[in-house]
Amino acid sequence: MLDRGLFAGYRPLPSAYDEAFRADGAPRPEFEGCLAALAASTASGFARQQRFAERALLDQGVTFSVYSDALGAEKIFPFCLVPRLVSASDWARLERGLVQRVLALEAFLDDVYGEGRILAERPLLREVVLGSKGYLAQLRGVRPPGGVRIHVSGIDLIRDPQGTFRVLEDNLRTPSGVSYVLENRALSKRVLPGAIDRARVRRVDHYPERLVAALRSVAPDGPDGTAVVLTPGPYNSAYFEHSFLARTMGLELVQAPDLFVQDDRVWAKTTRGPRRVHVVYRRTDDAFLDPEAFRPDSVLGVPGLVRAYAAGNVALANAPGNGVADDKAVYAFVPEIIRYYLGEDPALEQVPTYVCARDADRDHVLAHLSEMVVKVVDEAGGYGMLMGPQARAEEREQFRRRIAAEPRRYIAQRRVELSTCPTWDVAGERVVPRRVDLRPYVLNGAGGPWVLPGGLTRVALVEGSYVVNSSQGGGSKDTWVQSEPVARSDA
Amino acid sequence: MISRVADHCFWLGRYLERAESTARVLQVTQDLSLDAGLTPLQCWGPVVVVAGEEARFRSRFGDALGDGDRVQRYLAWDVEDPTSIRRSVSAARDNARSIRETVSLEAWEALNELHLWLAGTDAEARWRDDRHGFYGEVRRSCQLALGFVQGTMLHDDPYDFIVLGVMLERAAQTARILDVHHHALTDDALQVIETAVFLALLRACSGFEPFMRRSRGAITPGGVAAFLVLDGQFPRSIRFSIASARARLERIRPSDAIGRPGAESLERLRRLDSWIADQRAGAIAAGADLHRLLTRVVDDASVVCDAIGRELLGQLPGPAPVETGQ
Repeated sequence: MLDRGLFAGYRPLPSAYDEAFRADGAPRPEFEGCLAALAASTASGFARQQRFAERALLDQGVTFSVYSDALGAEKIFPFCLVPRLVSASDWARLERGLVQRVLALEAFLDDVYGEGRILAERPLLREVVLGSKGYLAQLRGVRPPGGVRIHVSGIDLIRDPQGTFRVLEDNLRTPSGVSYVLENRALSKRVLPGAIDRARVRRVDHYPERLVAALRSVAPDGPDGTAVVLTPGPYNSAYFEHSFLARTMGLELVQAPDLFVQDDRVWAKTTRGPRRVHVVYRRTDDAFLDPEAFRPDSVLGVPGLVRAYAAGNVALANAPGNGVADDKAVYAFVPEIIRYYLGEDPALEQVPTYVCARDADRDHVLAHLSEMVVKVVDEAGGYGMLMGPQARAEEREQFRRRIAAEPRRYIAQRRVELSTCPTWDVAGERVVPRRVDLRPYVLNGAGGPWVLPGGLTRVALVEGSYVVNSSQGGGSKDTWVQSEPVARSDA
Repeated sequence: MISRVADHCFWLGRYLERAESTARVLQVTQDLSLDAGLTPLQCWGPVVVVAGEEARFRSRFGDALGDGDRVQRYLAWDVEDPTSIRRSVSAARDNARSIRETVSLEAWEALNELHLWLAGTDAEARWRDDRHGFYGEVRRSCQLALGFVQGTMLHDDPYDFIVLGVMLERAAQTARILDVHHHALTDDALQVIETAVFLALLRACSGFEPFMRRSRGAITPGGVAAFLVLDGQFPRSIRFSIASARARLERIRPSDAIGRPGAESLERLRRLDSWIADQRAGAIAAGADLHRLLTRVVDDASVVCDAIGRELLGQLPGPAPVETGQ
């Protein structure tokens, strides 16, 4: 039996699945060795290690900008040193489901911007798609170089009280956070070498080399073309990640004014004159990508970029227009989309969703508003939500009116009890259960999808909170995916 | 390389050099003020002038040019003084942060740690309790960052732009330091303590030991001036700095690369370099018009920087208001 040590006072919540401990308080057997190694720390020793980790992040400048003044205020993304563990068998199931999902969504985007077969056959989906803010009609008929649109995706998963992973949402535009996966791992290795050794964790540090290979695989004039990373600039909250990825991939990090388009080709302004660019890994939103094509007031954009893309002279990763496939209303149709294009049953569950554009769903939502989490289809980051069970009556009334007026803009789900993970409570210097989600990253290039064995575990650091977004008090954890056992000692 | 990235590299070099230089001048002046027999104004006034901050300082603090503590606080900490150590380090770090994909991780961490140290309470305590040590720490950290730049980055265009910035800034700093003290020395009242001032002048340029080796211990005003202007092996002399800058620019933009941007910058820098190389140590030692020579160095270096900015650094109206100049 495990000497509970660091975990001595730890009690999983009765209503949620705990990632590390069973309901009876015993460690999950697959993690016993690793938990024993972690448990060997004293509370004060762990507190010291946690502080050291935070200091290291600050020194390395693993920060996001809070606001800009002459002396540059930045904060670290709160980090919890207690890892989130994922067993090899769970991971294998997730991996299969994620690959399937990306393939189906690629096929869906191809169809939506191409023939439109599914739209002709599914009138409600057609209405949802054509009304989606992420649908860019001017891209109809444009085939992306290399045939890939979702080069990088971050698919958010949660785990219900039965322990079943469910997709919460797809991020197919410019998902961020992967740099924290790599930095968190580097820290874990420095601070918790014993535990990570016992856990037999799969590596994540080859992500940049996989990403650059995926990017090069779709370059219009062959893999020797020039690829760049396009950032909105140092004051963007994800700037650290943009520079991190450029540095680790060995690519230039450019801002929009560094690029220009001539003869439908993209060029970089260099100290030696213009240089042709073939692949742009852009971390700028669609709306700000090209003032000619989208928002004319964008100073972040490159005029003509979409024209060059449509002419097949530059690959954009991710492709513009992907937002239609991660629309929160389209999400409800993804199981159907998987069956439609792949002829397979979905390997991953998702959260049952009421699409208010559907009359019966809308009536049901309005009748059960106090049990529902209502989301605006085109908001992200935890904004524009109604948490039915906790909301005040006036808030619910407000949403009731808005839903009735514009049903297309809303979807609703029953609140899912997120799983918990042992988490360091800085003030109390002890380990407590806190709710987590998981964002794995999937790369797609000419060779097909690949899932990074790891991912960003976001944790709601505040007791009782379900909101894991960094913009609203969330932090992150290193995610330890266990290797397959080399040989089984039991039957 | 991307012109904007080159711009950040260039200014990273300039600000790092400037921060180190300001710390060095303050450290040396602090020493000088303790026992050289100079009035506080004779000590501290020139320091503000070297920084080019006399007007702004006077408008805020009136005639406090002789108030050593006020001058030091202004040049070390004042966020309204664009040449202060705090602002220079912060600006160097902002430039580095804008090109983190280009600067090596080691160089970035050294610079970021200096920035964080200055922003925290430890640096203030050090400043209070051990002024000399505070300046020493700033200088060490700047040199550490530059050392990591030199020892851990590819020696290709980004590196050349950083060194180009360092060398042009250094040439101008040495010229200004020498100019200001040269003025002070023409004042008869100071003749008695000239040796102390010349030693301080040499130390302010990290040139004391190198000079003593060169002159075998003989200190004359003309000899010191000639050394700081013309010595070919002293890494902070004007001649050395300008020649190094020229060598960097010729790597960035070879003279036979007809049609590539940078022709004017290179031509101007080459002219300045040849002109300095033509100066004679004997004439300078004999008291030739040093002030005119130094003024020309400062002005021409500034013209070269403008040309580089125009031709090579793109000077794009980007969305990021990162401080890249004054």
